[in-house]
Amino acid sequence: MKPAKEIRVGNIIMVDAKPFIVLRSDVNGSSRTGFTYKWKMKNLLTNAPLENVFRGDDKFDVVVLDKKPVTYSYFADPLYVFMDEEYNQYEIEEENLGDALNYLKDGMACEAVFYDGKAISVELPTTIVRQIVYSEPAVKGNTSGNVLKEAKIENAIESKQHTVQVPLFVSQDDSIEIDTRTNEYKRVIRN
Amino acid sequence: MSQPVTLALFCKVVDNYGDIGICWRLARQLVHEHGIAVTLWVDDMHSFARICPRVDPHVAAQQVEGVAVYHWRDQEGTYFAEDVADIVIEFFAVDIPPGYVTAMAQRPVKPVWLNLEGLTAEEWVEGCHTLPSMHPRLPLTKHFFFPGFKGKTGGLPREAGLFGERDRFQQDPAAVAAFLGALGLDAAEQAACKVSLFCYPHAPVASLFDAWQRGGAPVACLVPEGVAKDEVRAFLGAEPVAGAVRTQGMLTVRVLPFVPQPDYDRLLWACDVNIVRGEDSFVRAQWAGRPFAWHIYPQDENLHHKKLRAFIARYCAPQYGAALDGASPDNAAAGRPDANALERLMLALNGVVEETDWLPLWQALSGSLEPLACRSANWQKALLENGDLASNLLTFARSVR
Repeated sequence: MKPAKEIRVGNIIMVDAKPFIVLRSDVNGSSRTGFTYKWKMKNLLTNAPLENVFRGDDKFDVVVLDKKPVTYSYFADPLYVFMDEEYNQYEIEEENLGDALNYLKDGMACEAVFYDGKAISVELPTTIVRQIVYSEPAVKGNTSGNVLKEAKIENAIESKQHTVQVPLFVSQDDSIEIDTRTNEYKRVIRN
Repeated sequence: MSQPVTLALFCKVVDNYGDIGICWRLARQLVHEHGIAVTLWVDDMHSFARICPRVDPHVAAQQVEGVAVYHWRDQEGTYFAEDVADIVIEFFAVDIPPGYVTAMAQRPVKPVWLNLEGLTAEEWVEGCHTLPSMHPRLPLTKHFFFPGFKGKTGGLPREAGLFGERDRFQQDPAAVAAFLGALGLDAAEQAACKVSLFCYPHAPVASLFDAWQRGGAPVACLVPEGVAKDEVRAFLGAEPVAGAVRTQGMLTVRVLPFVPQPDYDRLLWACDVNIVRGEDSFVRAQWAGRPFAWHIYPQDENLHHKKLRAFIARYCAPQYGAALDGASPDNAAAGRPDANALERLMLALNGVVEETDWLPLWQALSGSLEPLACRSANWQKALLENGDLASNLLTFARSVR
């Protein structure tokens, strides 16, 4: 059993004895109990989409599926192709990739998840490093109300250009570490 | 769809009086205005008795103002399907006894199960309000229900007769004077700018006291017994017990007895400025129609700063600003000195920004009482469009039953 706060996009969980894949997780501050997790899920038996919200300490059975290290290879409309060490290719539907699409990059290492022998999703590393491709410069004196600003990060898919909230001192072309569970900035990487 | 007639509300008291305060108001309203048979499970009967003296804290089961009140001792116990109410509410995501949940699943018609969450003005709430939350193992679905300030939320708790009662009181100077007199205020205190102070222990009360003492006009600060004890004791030079009072400079601090909910409402209605905390008094201050500042419940990782800023952004929005002479509301709001004063005070009160001298903050706020009262009226008008929490909750329960 795992609490909701430890479940990641790409995990398969059992809800009411049915397997669901978590496609997207939005985490928000909630009451004193901590956080609220809003998940977009898909029933793997019926393909029916579902949106649910949970408390961080709600516990779920996580289905341990076969996983294999893969790298992102290319987009073969409408499927995303990943490749393992033996050059086997696995095609995954866009809707099953969920938030992973926000961080897709050529050659990106991740783990393909298999259900019934078919690759159904990928799990990202907990933290990844991405370069900022665009961010407004910080405005001097504008710190009382806005302690964060938006930054677009590099992505293999132009239409999926993803934005992360970063501190004002972070600049365009910086590389930042991001927590893929929460989509949150962790730190800037500077040599 | 059958009409739900019974409702169980589970309340765990963490924040002293706010939790039970909200649940008690909701329970009474559901009974008196909607004819629902309500059972209120409370883990801390002593806190309950302070806001409702009719409650006997030593009795495990009792009937109070039409509500069945049970002392929720622990998570043990055997429950049967017939014990389960048509609507079950876990307040602030409390864990209902496992035996009760099992009994819920055994009911032929499953109860409507709601997690009544905390109030916040953050936008994400609108995307989570009324969303389902399937139980991982049992054939039960809970729904998240968020109070809030906009149409896509459950609204705020408000009794049907509240505004009428408030207006009658505020328009009757004799009633106000009699009420304040009964609390011990003399003529000078009643004539001063009256500020009610209800805050958490970390509030910068000493800074406020300092500013009020040095101010240009008399201030009477009314603080319930037990609140800001250290600062009040230091000001009084004596124990902060009910009835204690002392004047220094322009400030008089008076310790009030802890009053039941209806009298706390009257206190908010009678004061010129209210400093409130948590959720229950925060909502009541909005309905009081007087300028107020919110001392928010502290949360890890400064989550409460986000909540505070979200509320300020909504409440201080230009459309609630008062129109000045000859100016359109938009132009009048552009300067929005009242909103600026309120925002600065609330940010300082909650430690979001550092302030070295509180006197200018107070002067800016006390100089804006009239436009702030207009802002409050405009805000209330907008909130009314979303109905009230109890009615919205029942409407939703009927829709999913």
